[in-house]
Amino acid sequence: MDSSIAFLIFAAAMWAAWRRDPRVAVFLFALGMLFTLAVYLHHATDVLPLSF
Amino acid sequence: MTPANAMKLNAVALYAISAVLLVAFYFQFELGELPCPLCLLQRVAFTALAVGPILTLRHGPRPGHYGLIILAALLGAAIASRQVLLHIMPGDAGYGSALLGYHFYTWALLGFVAAIAASAAMLLFPGQFAEQAPPLGLIETVAVWLIFAVTLANGASALLECGFTWCPATPVHYELLYKPA
Repeated sequence: MDSSIAFLIFAAAMWAAWRRDPRVAVFLFALGMLFTLAVYLHHATDVLPLSF
Repeated sequence: MTPANAMKLNAVALYAISAVLLVAFYFQFELGELPCPLCLLQRVAFTALAVGPILTLRHGPRPGHYGLIILAALLGAAIASRQVLLHIMPGDAGYGSALLGYHFYTWALLGFVAAIAASAAMLLFPGQFAEQAPPLGLIETVAVWLIFAVTLANGASALLECGFTWCPATPVHYELLYKPA
């Protein structure tokens, strides 16, 4: 679900950019970047099956 | 470079991003390779790359729009680099199948680095930064709607795969379609 939310945030940013609302688009872009970074850091703690 | 030419190149970038995501969809649905959480985040970063070009197509070329592309590409490159490093040990088979000898996360890393280089190169042409944005053509309009549709499709696909919780580290089935025996 985490990735779905990130996709939706960037889709909303694209929609705002298309609707000639650049400030909202940039705000949503920044929000999406922070959210994606947070999800990335969350998955950095995933258990990794090592191959050696 | 004229604003019109810069906008055409931004439309080409949108088509390229859509093509990357559609190839990933092909491997996911035709070959049954479910994307891992890092793979999904790289797809997210590819969609983030599209916001700058759409702003350029709607409002005309601005240096800040290329800045957005570079920021998104840096995040994507960081995520792809981590996955490359996770599989860098000799003998590691990597995650998923390879395309032309490289796994998708390696291609993704190359793609994000190419996006940074292309944006930096575009910033070298100040003639594109005119006040008035040229009118949009059909090719540019289709490019925007294509990447918008592909982004929404990715959101739906990720929801199907992960369900209403965190995506599993190693996905083996679609959570919303899975019926335990």
